Amino acid sequence: MSDKALAAPALFRLPPSLRIALRELQGGLRGFYVFIACIALGVMTIASVGSFARGLAEGLAHEGRIILGGDISFSLIQREATPAERAFVANYGVTTATATLRAMARSPEAQHSRNAAEKSSPGATDGAVAPAGKTTALVEIKAIDDAYPLYGPLVTEPAGSPATLLAKHGDVFDAIVDPAMMARLNLKLGSRFSIGAAQFEIRAMLTSEPDKIAGGIAFGPRLFISQDALRATDLLQPGSLVRWTYRVRLPASAGSEAAVQAAIDASRKAFPSAGWEIRTRSNVSPQLERSIEQFTQYLTLVGLTALLVGGVGIANSVKYYLDRKRDVIATLKSMGATGTRIFVIYFTEILLLALVGSVGGLLLGAALPFAVSGAFGAIVPLPFVPAIFPGQLALALAYGMLTAIAFALWPLGRAHDVPVSALFRGEVAPGRGMPRRRYVVATLGAIAALAAFAVAAAYDRRIALIFIAAAAAAFLLLHLVAKLLMVIARRVPRPRSTIVRLAISNIYRPGALTPTVVLSLGLGLGLLVMVLEIDGNLRRQFVAALPARAPSFYFVDIQAADVDRFDAFVHQRAPGATLERVPMLRGRIASAHGVSAEDLKPRPDAVWVLQSDRGLTYTDQVPAGSRVVAGEWWSPNYSGPPLVSFDKRIAEGLGLKLGDNITVNVLGRDISARISNLRNIDWQSLGINFIMVFSPATFRGAPAMHLATLTYSDGGTAAEENAMLEAAASAFPAITVVRVKDAIEAVGGLVGKLVTGVRGASVVTLLAAALVLGGALAAGHRHRVYDAVILKTLGASRRQLIAAYALEYLLLGFATAIFGVAVGSLGAWRVVIDIMTLRFEWLAAPAAGAALCALAVTLLCGLIGTFTALGRKPAPLLRNL
Amino acid sequence: MNDTSGVYRVPAVAMSGVDLSLGRGPSRVHILKSIDLTIGRGEAVGLVGPSGSGKSTLLMVMAGLERADAGSIMVAGEDVGRLDEDALARFRGRHVGIVFQSFHLIPTMTALENVAVPLELAGIPEAFERAEHELAAVGLADRRTHYPAELSGGEQQRAALARALAPHPAILVADEPTGNLDEETGRHIIDLLFAGHIEHGTTLVLVTHDPSLARRCDRVVRLRSGRIEEALTPP
Repeated sequence: MSDKALAAPALFRLPPSLRIALRELQGGLRGFYVFIACIALGVMTIASVGSFARGLAEGLAHEGRIILGGDISFSLIQREATPAERAFVANYGVTTATATLRAMARSPEAQHSRNAAEKSSPGATDGAVAPAGKTTALVEIKAIDDAYPLYGPLVTEPAGSPATLLAKHGDVFDAIVDPAMMARLNLKLGSRFSIGAAQFEIRAMLTSEPDKIAGGIAFGPRLFISQDALRATDLLQPGSLVRWTYRVRLPASAGSEAAVQAAIDASRKAFPSAGWEIRTRSNVSPQLERSIEQFTQYLTLVGLTALLVGGVGIANSVKYYLDRKRDVIATLKSMGATGTRIFVIYFTEILLLALVGSVGGLLLGAALPFAVSGAFGAIVPLPFVPAIFPGQLALALAYGMLTAIAFALWPLGRAHDVPVSALFRGEVAPGRGMPRRRYVVATLGAIAALAAFAVAAAYDRRIALIFIAAAAAAFLLLHLVAKLLMVIARRVPRPRSTIVRLAISNIYRPGALTPTVVLSLGLGLGLLVMVLEIDGNLRRQFVAALPARAPSFYFVDIQAADVDRFDAFVHQRAPGATLERVPMLRGRIASAHGVSAEDLKPRPDAVWVLQSDRGLTYTDQVPAGSRVVAGEWWSPNYSGPPLVSFDKRIAEGLGLKLGDNITVNVLGRDISARISNLRNIDWQSLGINFIMVFSPATFRGAPAMHLATLTYSDGGTAAEENAMLEAAASAFPAITVVRVKDAIEAVGGLVGKLVTGVRGASVVTLLAAALVLGGALAAGHRHRVYDAVILKTLGASRRQLIAAYALEYLLLGFATAIFGVAVGSLGAWRVVIDIMTLRFEWLAAPAAGAALCALAVTLLCGLIGTFTALGRKPAPLLRNL
Repeated sequence: MNDTSGVYRVPAVAMSGVDLSLGRGPSRVHILKSIDLTIGRGEAVGLVGPSGSGKSTLLMVMAGLERADAGSIMVAGEDVGRLDEDALARFRGRHVGIVFQSFHLIPTMTALENVAVPLELAGIPEAFERAEHELAAVGLADRRTHYPAELSGGEQQRAALARALAPHPAILVADEPTGNLDEETGRHIIDLLFAGHIEHGTTLVLVTHDPSLARRCDRVVRLRSGRIEEALTPP
């Protein structure tokens, strides 16, 4: 803006402080690039994360009926709907029924190799049988009817309707198969395979199914068969882990939300004990929505961390700017400007600059989802609709402005008291001392507002509060570390070496870089270490090493009649291994202490327990891997009213205590039990454990299937496991064998994707930290050049100066690295233990690597500045100083 | 040009044919033009002349803070023009003490540290003891832990003088050392400056606008437009 423009009449009508602020900003944004970049980065992250999340939510809502596969779905575990229930559902519109379950598919070779082995060595088929586990595969069966799908297309190659692609020829049923299964079993179109007692022929390959997302994590490839085929497998036994889902397409004339709600209300009234899980097109997958909300919160917190780290840069920029403006401020004061007027002028400038940064961040943040959708839309398996979401952008803007205000108020407050004598004297310690009380109060108010805002906007307020406490602790700790470093450096006996003395005294001098470097480097490194430690622990949990005593297999759906034969089979084939077997049922919590599940207000970390059916068991022994921490375990021969043992964390999350009654719906019947004890469960042993364990008499006579685990004493080799997999699948076609390592891999794949997301967002924070560090060093550069020139004038060689500065940065970097690693490790420890509820193991290598990187970056950034300072000729500077 | 060698037989400074231009392109200014100047050991020389005549630049060249475009410069027996940046720094540390009009103390160091720095850089083990002694000699013993901003202008200049004299340089150059001080304080500084010069036999080269101060020197060299106009020996 030119002087002429500023002198325009319109501008004269602006308040004088704003006029002066605008005039001051005419000098350009020099010295504010870090300030603007810090705000822009944080705002961009929060805006893009928010926009992504809303885009996903909108996508889910928009595509809800396709993802759900209908307008309403009623799903039952372990049982089919009764004719009355089916008739009720059919009353609302066109319906489709699907059955989903896991099972073992076997290629023709499986049978051949078994026969061959039995011929060559009768009675000893174990051990040497399997050709590397390629003859059996765990598959996710979906048995459909002719009406499927109600919404969206089932895409196959070759194309065709379910009726034509899933026909029966003689004794053989057609199947639509995921190519992954074909690859695993070395099959092609037209190949045959068997499941349970039924034979199948591959008629088509699956390209996409419309309602895949609602299915959750798949442990195996999808297989479409007809319901007649499913019945022919003989897998449908009482208590089998099969989920029946009945979906309804409402007629267009009765498709309103009110009609949907009316149908749900009517279903609950007509069948209060059905125990079905009801979903609607606007409530497709509460678990997925919950995951998205949680993930959004984590990423928002990462964005907020970026803003907080950037806050240090903001405070630095403002401080150094005001340092440079001391003469201007003193001059203004000498001409009659009050301290308050000075504050208002510069506060206005900072607000304008914060707005520039925020708007830049908003533009980038709003554009990012479009760019990502354009680039990767086709490969993201979620219905994402990029759009501009003003609410999310406003939230990000508010975060950005509040952060800027919170961090700028303190140095701005000090400007109030810049003395006019600053014109005549240099400065001892730029920006020392507390500002006036009103600015201290305003700063605290802004910080409180920022914290309140973060909590209010959080999905899980507990986590937001933990974050705020952790951030405050990290700031305080690093501030104290900086002070401590300066005190120690001051007290160190004067070293004989000039270089060492210069380096050490640079650490505690007035205006030293110590507080800034410690804070920015410490926060950046702390975050890096935290992310790496969490990352490493997650990987260790899901990808790398399994617990030492982790089972090799889960055997699911063992019929009660088969248990003795199954036990004998396993003991014969794996004599040294440990077999654990328990009866298992599935049930939904219908009510707790008299309040129906729909009306319970659980803690966010316990919501999932109510959202679907849960596995449950009954026993007279405390299950291995869990410990009673409250109440008493029932006596071995207890046969009184039903008792239940509950997982302590979940009980607390649901607001349950000892003596409370809960009702679970199992196989369509409501069963009430009193909570007699609470357990702490070690979920990571991967052994069999259930949130709810009932006293044995509770389910007497119920058709429970059994669940078993097999643990090899040496952890199990791939050959041992493959042999057992093949043999068990062959000997017990109805039993589903889940290899733990495969399941862990499936979960690990998902975790890997989430970790990648967190890493991506963390990069932004690290970038902010690097910016702050670079900015701080650059701001200190002016003093460095002056010092270097004077020292050179007094006889210092470049080598001496470089050595002194390098030593200073090394000392600073090293001390900060220790505390950065400590802060990050502490943070990771609490996150892994409290939020992820996993076991924490400190990993030295990534922490050391991060610390070394931080040290190198500090040294590099510092020395780049030093080299330019040393390259300056003294005379021109001495002339101008 | 006049050869202005004085009565001193072994020169502390010997400059001949020194030329220097600063700036680039159209703004390039020819500041020193064919300067020949010899200053004997222990001699006190006042450089005078109007603003822009090249006095301070000549001082900078002499102290190795500015490189001449042409000519030879021998200071304390060293060919300054042949020294690289680091050698120049070491040369200054050994042989040259500098006092600036604007003091140029390092603001983040105490008075004592400021005085000790050149001694430390020269590798003198008892740097701080000597620095304390030098500070006491200029009357600042009780101000040694103060930072420059906590000192008055006169005190800052005294500290700067102590710093310049501490390594016992062969040559002491002072660029209008009283320019920022009141008359009384300025006189005190000059007394200290000359006391140091006499006590250590240091060669003193002084840029000044003050005729009375110039008269205290053994010789006065007048510059005009980058040339030595005349050299006078005060009565």
